[in-house]
Amino acid sequence: MASVAKLSHTAAMILQAIDAGLIYGFSIMEMTGLPSGTVYPAMRRLERDKLICSRWERQSIADADQRPPRKYYKLTTTGAEALKASRNRYPLLERMIPTVEEKSL
Amino acid sequence: MTPHSEPLFHAIDRGLLCCASYLVPERQRAEWRLEWESELWHARRSNGASCAASWQTEREIAGFCFGAFQDAACLRRFWWQNRPRFGALQGSPAICIFWLGCLLLLGYAGSLLLPGVRVEQNFSSAQVRPGTILIQDEGAKNSSVPSMVIDQVRIWERSRQRYADGFAFYRVARETVELGPHAGGTWQIARASSNLFTLAGWPLHYMVPKEQARSDVPRLVLSERVWRQQLGANPEVVGTVLLVGSRPARVVGIAPGDAWRLPGNSDAWLLESDSEINSGGRGYVVAHLTRIGRSEVWGGLVRITSFDSRRTEHDFLGKSLDEQMPGPANIYWFGIFLAFLALPAIVSVSLAEYSFSSHKPSWMRRAVRLGFLGLKIILIMLIAYFSSVDLAYWHFPVFSPDGVYIQLVISLTICLFGMRWALLDQRQRCPVCLRRVTHPAQVGLVSRMFLAWSGTELICAGGHTLLHVPGLPTSWFSTQRWMFLDSSWDFLFAG
Repeated sequence: MASVAKLSHTAAMILQAIDAGLIYGFSIMEMTGLPSGTVYPAMRRLERDKLICSRWERQSIADADQRPPRKYYKLTTTGAEALKASRNRYPLLERMIPTVEEKSL
Repeated sequence: MTPHSEPLFHAIDRGLLCCASYLVPERQRAEWRLEWESELWHARRSNGASCAASWQTEREIAGFCFGAFQDAACLRRFWWQNRPRFGALQGSPAICIFWLGCLLLLGYAGSLLLPGVRVEQNFSSAQVRPGTILIQDEGAKNSSVPSMVIDQVRIWERSRQRYADGFAFYRVARETVELGPHAGGTWQIARASSNLFTLAGWPLHYMVPKEQARSDVPRLVLSERVWRQQLGANPEVVGTVLLVGSRPARVVGIAPGDAWRLPGNSDAWLLESDSEINSGGRGYVVAHLTRIGRSEVWGGLVRITSFDSRRTEHDFLGKSLDEQMPGPANIYWFGIFLAFLALPAIVSVSLAEYSFSSHKPSWMRRAVRLGFLGLKIILIMLIAYFSSVDLAYWHFPVFSPDGVYIQLVISLTICLFGMRWALLDQRQRCPVCLRRVTHPAQVGLVSRMFLAWSGTELICAGGHTLLHVPGLPTSWFSTQRWMFLDSSWDFLFAG
């Protein structure tokens, strides 16, 4: 099995936030409380390391909501594995940013 | 805060994003701006929804926009880490042209900066009246040492001349010159016969009107160098009176460039009548030959025998000034001509574009290939010109025959071996992408050359061709051949 990269606490928080359903930069900022100068570069690094991937929202959806299209992020398989390892390393991660299912409970 | 100020803040935020975007590598810039402007829209909406527009809100949004600079810098770092390395470009035609261009720039800069080279190039454009000679005592070992006396000129002027129709004398000495109440210096002044410039046919710049020049004050001609360096290239100086030594002299013109082709490095020429030039000291004599006199010139030299009042014989040597020393351009073209003549002797001029199959690159690609070869040759020829001029004249005195020979040898050598290199380099460039073929591999055995070819195989890193160069040319495989690779080879070059 390939070794899973160790993530910093910030990177782990961002992965956790994406996993929790906060799938664009500004929502991650709001949830984690990190400044934009930290969140976006961290997301670039995660994307470069193929832990997350991005896609643009369809223009028609954005037009319907009368707003500019967003760039959405989601975890890759490697990213999900890295997050799993990070959760063991940072046990409070899930409590800080609970997933959507946990919130609804 | 008024509602009218909101568009202003919005414009400031967009301006910040615009500035930050210039840090992002160009390819990613458009997408990056789209993402940040979308995020800004959401940030503004979110803050606007949560509280009324206020300074606090605008400060938070501006803080958000400042984060874009860190993001952009991060992308710039990624790009820098993954930028194409020099090794990947090695062998590409662009690198070849780049290095040739660098050498050319170096040579050109040298020709602009080295003073000796500048002087030589100016000389090549200077004109001398045909039949002008410099006369020296035959016993004088060095042409730069003055060996003539004014009395000899007076003898020649008094006697009936068949061979010469004019004489001028000059002598160079250091004299103080007063340029103004508080300005002055010591210059090399050539006290010369008043007809020196007309005799040699040298034109003057900014000449004063004749009636002004004919005044009883001696005339002074300034060299262009002194005029520029010490008088600030002021044309108003022409016509003014300067004090040379203890005598006033009127500036009547500027001698152009480095037109002075005679011994003695003069800063200015004080033109006087022969009677005013005193007899003491030695100088130089310039003469203009008649048609009969010119027929006596042999190899740029003419021997002159003169008798004084006591019938004593004196021998002089006249050196032709109009016999143009070949200028740098003439020598260069001669060097090029020799190089083209000698090229087939040192390398085969064929481009060896044979192919294993009937497949040939399109005419466009062939034209580009030929254009690339032409460009290389043109650059080499220009490099040869500037390098040869730089090396030949940077420290040799002007008019030195050594400089001429050195320029010829250097231009011939650079052109000859440069063109040889250009042809050999061209033969090793892929006909499709012009990259140099690499990774040489030995193929076959010489002992089995009747069964299969043996030699070296090279491959184009772009996956377009293989080049087969026979180790031992045979009647059936005498020159190199290209093998164009089809799509079945693509897997080898993938990634």
